[in-house]
Amino acid sequence: MKRAHVQVDGVVQSVGFRPFVYRTAVDLGLRGCVRNLGDAGVSVTLEGPGDRIDAFLRELETNPPPLATVERVTVDTEPVTEYSYESFSIVDSEDRGAGGGTVPPDTAVCEACLADIRDPSSRFHDYWATACVDCGPRFTVIEELPYDRETTSMAAFPLCSDCADAYASPSDRRYHAQAIACPSCGPQLAFQPHDRSVDPPAVGERTGIDPLPQRSSLVEGDGQSLDAAARTLDEGGIVAVKGIGGAHLACDATRPDAVSTLRDRTGRPAKPFAVMVPSMDDVATVASASSTEREWLRSARRPIVVLDQRGDALASNLAPGLHTVGVMLPYSGVHHLLFDRVDDPIVVTSANRPGLPMQSSNRAIVEQLWDVADGSLLHTRRIVQRCDDSVVRAVGGSRTLLRRSRGHAPLPVAAPTADDADVLAVGPERDVTAAVLSGDECYLTQHVGTVTDRETFRFLQAAIDHLLALTGTERPSVTAHDAHPSFRTTEYAADRTADRTVAVQHHHAHAASVLMEHDCPRAVCITADGVGYGPDGTVWGGEVLDATLTDADRVAGLAPVPMPGGDRATEFPVRSLVGLLYDREGVDIQALVDALDWSPPNADEPRVIEQQLEADVNTPVTTSAGRFLDAVAALADICHERTYEGEPAMRLEAAATDGTPRDVTVPYTTADGRPVVDTPRVAELLVELRRDGTHATDVAATAQRILADGLADLAVDAAAERGIDAVGFTGGVAYNDAISRRIRQRVRDAGLAYLDNDAVPPGDGGVAYGQAGVAAATVRDGGVDS
Amino acid sequence: LEQGAGGKAMRDLVSEVLTAGLPDDSLDIGREAMDDGAVVPIGDRNVVFTTDSHVVHPPFFPGGDIGRLAVSGTVNDLAVMGATDVRALSSAVVVEAGYAESDLERIADSMARTCREADAAIVTGDTKVMGHGDLDGIVVNTTGVGVADHVVGDDGLSPDDVLVSTGEVGRHGVALLAEREGIDFGTTVESDVRPINGVVDRALSVAGADITAMKDPTRMGLAGAASEMATKGGVGIELRQDRIPVPSDVKGASEMLGLNPLQIANEGIALLGVRPTAAADVLAALRSHPDGQDAAAIGKAIDDEHGRVLLDTGLGTRYLREPATEPAPRIC
Ligand SMILES: [Fe+3]
Ligand SMILES: [Mg+2]
Ligand SMILES: [Zn+2]
Ligand SMILES: [Zn+2]
Repeated sequence: MKRAHVQVDGVVQSVGFRPFVYRTAVDLGLRGCVRNLGDAGVSVTLEGPGDRIDAFLRELETNPPPLATVERVTVDTEPVTEYSYESFSIVDSEDRGAGGGTVPPDTAVCEACLADIRDPSSRFHDYWATACVDCGPRFTVIEELPYDRETTSMAAFPLCSDCADAYASPSDRRYHAQAIACPSCGPQLAFQPHDRSVDPPAVGERTGIDPLPQRSSLVEGDGQSLDAAARTLDEGGIVAVKGIGGAHLACDATRPDAVSTLRDRTGRPAKPFAVMVPSMDDVATVASASSTEREWLRSARRPIVVLDQRGDALASNLAPGLHTVGVMLPYSGVHHLLFDRVDDPIVVTSANRPGLPMQSSNRAIVEQLWDVADGSLLHTRRIVQRCDDSVVRAVGGSRTLLRRSRGHAPLPVAAPTADDADVLAVGPERDVTAAVLSGDECYLTQHVGTVTDRETFRFLQAAIDHLLALTGTERPSVTAHDAHPSFRTTEYAADRTADRTVAVQHHHAHAASVLMEHDCPRAVCITADGVGYGPDGTVWGGEVLDATLTDADRVAGLAPVPMPGGDRATEFPVRSLVGLLYDREGVDIQALVDALDWSPPNADEPRVIEQQLEADVNTPVTTSAGRFLDAVAALADICHERTYEGEPAMRLEAAATDGTPRDVTVPYTTADGRPVVDTPRVAELLVELRRDGTHATDVAATAQRILADGLADLAVDAAAERGIDAVGFTGGVAYNDAISRRIRQRVRDAGLAYLDNDAVPPGDGGVAYGQAGVAAATVRDGGVDS
Repeated sequence: LEQGAGGKAMRDLVSEVLTAGLPDDSLDIGREAMDDGAVVPIGDRNVVFTTDSHVVHPPFFPGGDIGRLAVSGTVNDLAVMGATDVRALSSAVVVEAGYAESDLERIADSMARTCREADAAIVTGDTKVMGHGDLDGIVVNTTGVGVADHVVGDDGLSPDDVLVSTGEVGRHGVALLAEREGIDFGTTVESDVRPINGVVDRALSVAGADITAMKDPTRMGLAGAASEMATKGGVGIELRQDRIPVPSDVKGASEMLGLNPLQIANEGIALLGVRPTAAADVLAALRSHPDGQDAAAIGKAIDDEHGRVLLDTGLGTRYLREPATEPAPRIC
C-alpha cells in the first residue's frame, strides 16, 4: 500500500477538476483528499494499492475534464502500512489566492447538457441557460475573484433546491458549477418586438439581473420568446439575439432581401457576414470544410471558421466579392432552441452601431438597435464582460486566428520570462487586444476593436482593468505601447502610473509575436501589413526585419512610395496606384485612371491626386504591403472603395484564386542602402499585362506571387548573410493564403525554418502580445526606454 | 521647419526657448499662459500688447494679401483677448532689393483698407531693404495696442461652456494651398482673412464675463485651437460635426487632398467659450454683424477627457487629433 502526493498545475480550477478527481478516486476505491491550492494548482493525496494509484494517474493524463489544461503533474510516493483517511473527500479551500489562470473562458454547451435540453423528462428540458462544470459562461459572467457563484452575475439567481443539491453533490456533473441554472431558478428569455415608429421602451436600472424593457408588447416565457424571434426571422426580419458575450444581429442567411435590409440598416454595404448553421451536417451545404476545420467548428471554443464557400444555398450578397464565408455552429442553448424553430442558416454579425462596440445589455440593445432590428431576443443574465466571437482560418493549412476572443479570453499564451516585472501592453490602434505579461505567461484581453472612438476606447480601459484584476496584477510596473506618438493608447500608457513605459515600434511588435510563440531568440521576420508608424516618420508596412526581442533592424522590404492623401488613400485604392506609378515615365496616369471602372467621388479628384503629388501636399511616404495590394485591386478593377477594413486586399485574394500567376522576374532596387522590391516597377509591369489583355484574376495572382517571392527572397538572403536559420512571416498580409503558402515554400526550399503565428493573430490583435515581450526583454536587458 | 507650423511643436519651442530668461511678471498673463498677446495694466485700464511678423507665399492670394494678413493677424490677436478697441498699430516692412514697387503699393493700400475695417490706424512704421537673396520677397511685422474692458484668456473654459465659431472654417488654408501649390479644385476658394474685432465686440457687449475663453484658430486650425483651449482650461471638448460650418468648396477641396478642414488654417474667425445661459444671446449678437452670419454653436466643454477634443460624427464620437505638423496626415 502506498500514499501519493500529487500536485497538478495548469488550468485546473473552476473547470470541474476536483469533482473529476473525486469521482475517479472513489471509482478506484482510493482514499484521501483533493484541494485547490492558492496559486492555481490542485493538490491530491491518495492512499491505496499502488496499481490503483497508477490507474488514477493514467486517467488524469488521458481523460481530464474538457476545460482543464494540465501543464505539470508532480508525484511523490511513499510506502505506508495503514490508512490515515476514512474515505475520499473534497476539502474546501480557505485560501483562494488571486493567482492567474484560475478563470476559464466561455465554452459551448456540452453534449451532456445538450442531451438534458433535449430530454423531455429532464428538469433542464428546453432550458436555454443549461450549464455544468464542463460548459457554459465563465469569463463573461465573472465580476471579480475568487470565482464563485457570488462573484458572478449568476448571483442574482438564487439556486432552487434541486440546483442547490446538484451544486453540493460531489458526484454530480454540476458540483460547484457556478453557472448552474434551471427553468425554475435561472435567467429567462424575453422577446421585444421593435416598433420602429415610436421611441424605444424604458428599461429598468441595473440591479443583479439585466432588466427587461417595460412595455406591454414584451413577449415573456422562453418558448413564446423563441417562437416570436423565429417568426420574425422567417418573415425576413432582423433580430438582435443576446447570447453569451454580447448580441448578434441575425437574419435568414438564404434571403438576399433580408441580408440587404441588414446591410442598409447597419451601414455595412459589403462587409462579409458570418453564418450560423444548425448542425455539422448543414455545413457542407454552404462551405467545404476539411476534417481539421470541422474539429475547429465543433470545438468547445466554437469560433467562426472562415471556409471556402460552396453551392448557392446562401444569399449571394452575404460576402460580396469574396470566395470565403465565416461559418459557426450554435454554442449557446438559445441558439440550439432557436434552430428548433428555424430551418435555414442565419446571419450572425455583431450587434452594434458603427463606431460603437458590440452591445451587451438589454437597454443598449433595445435603445441602440431599435431602428436596426425588428425585434430583440433578450435574457435577464447580465453580461459582465462583452466578448466577441473568435475567428479562425486555415492559412497554408495551419490554424491562423483572425480574432482571439470568446473561448480564448482570458487564457494565457506562453511568453518569455519577464523576471519580476509585470508588463501591461495596451496594443496599437486598430483591432486592439491588450495584454498582461506576468511570469512566463501572457494574458490577452478579449477582442476590443479600433479605439479611435470614445466608446471603444472605454471598452479597452474596462477590459484592461478587468484582466488586471483577474490575473492579480493590479499594478504592472511596465507599460508597453505603440511607438506612434498620437495614438490614444500611447496617451493612455503615459497616463498610467507605471515605473516605466516602453514604446515598441509596430512591426517590431509583430515580429516579436512570432519570436515569442516559437521561443526563438532571433529570426528574419517578414512583417507585412497596412500601416505602422516607423521611427523615420514614414508609414511602414512591408518590412523585412532582423529581429530579436530587444532589437529590430530594417534590412529589406518594399520600396518607399508616396501615399497621396494619407488616410484617404486607404479609402480609395486608386490613390495608391497613382502613388506607385507617379514617377514612371512610360505611364500616362490620367489616361490609365480614366480607363478604370472608377467613378471618383469628386470629378476633379483624379487630376488633384497628381497635383497633390507634384506639390507634395499630404503625401506621406509608405512601404505598406497593404497599399501595394490595394493598388493592384484598383488596377484590376477589383475594388475601388474600401467600405470595411482590408476589403481591397480580401477581394484581390478572392479574385486571384481563379487566376494563374504569370512568370515575372521580381524587380529589385535599393532604398537607403537596403534592398527592396521595386514596387513602382512591379506596378508598371502589371499595367503592361493589363494592357495586353491579361485577365484581372491573372493580374491579381501575379501581383500576389511577386509580393510573396520578393519578400521571401529578400528575407532568405538576409538570413543567409547573417547566418540566421529561421524566417518568420506575420502582419495582416499573413491572412492571405496564397501569399503565406508561397513564402513558406520558398523559405523551406532555402533550408530555413518557417515561423508563423498560431496562438495569437498575425494581425494587429497580436501586437500587444509582441509589445509585452519586447518591453519585458528591454527591461530585463536594462535597455533604455525608446 | 516643423516649428513654423504652429501646432504642438511651436508651443514647445516658444515655451522652452523663447521665453527662457525673461523676467517673470505675474501681471503679464499673456506670456505666462502662452496667450496671443500680453496684458499691461496702465492705471485702471487693461492695455493689451501684441506683435507678429508675417511671411506668406504667395503674397497675393484669393481673398487677400500679406498686407491684409499682417493687419488682421495683429488686430485679431488683440480681439481674442478682449481688446476689440484697437488704439494703435505699427508696421515694419522688410523687402528684398528689387521688389516690385507696384506690389509694395498694393500691399500698403490693402493695409490701409484693412485698418479702416478694423477701425484702427497705423501710427508709426518703418521700411527696410535687404540685399537680393537675403530674404524671400517681403516680411511685414505689425505690433498692436488695444484696450480691453474685460480681458479674456484662452484658458477659461469650464464644463458645459458652449463653443461658438464666429464663422466658416478652413478657407484661408485651402486658398493658400491652392494658390501656392497650383492645385486646381475646379473652384477658387477665397481666404477668410479679415479683422474680427468688430464681430467679437458684438459678442462681448452682450455677454461680457459670460465669454469665458477666446482664441483665433489660425495656423493649427480649429482642432488645434480647441485642443489648446481644452488643455489650458483643464476640460475636454466635444464638437458636433453637423454643427461646424464648413463651406462646400472647402469641404470638397480638403476631401480631395485627404485633409481635415478642422485642421486647416483660418484668418477670419474666432472660437469663443460661452456660458450656456448666454449662448443664445451671443449667437444672435454675432449674427447681427456682417462677418458673423455663419456663427454657430459647434460643441461644448465637458468635465471628462481633459485636454482632448472629441468629434461626434453622428456615427460615434471619435478623438480628434491635434496636428503635430502642418498639413498633417494621420499616418496609420
Ligand atoms: Fe499591423
Ligand atoms: Mg498559421
Ligand atoms: Zn455542460
Ligand atoms: Zn434551479
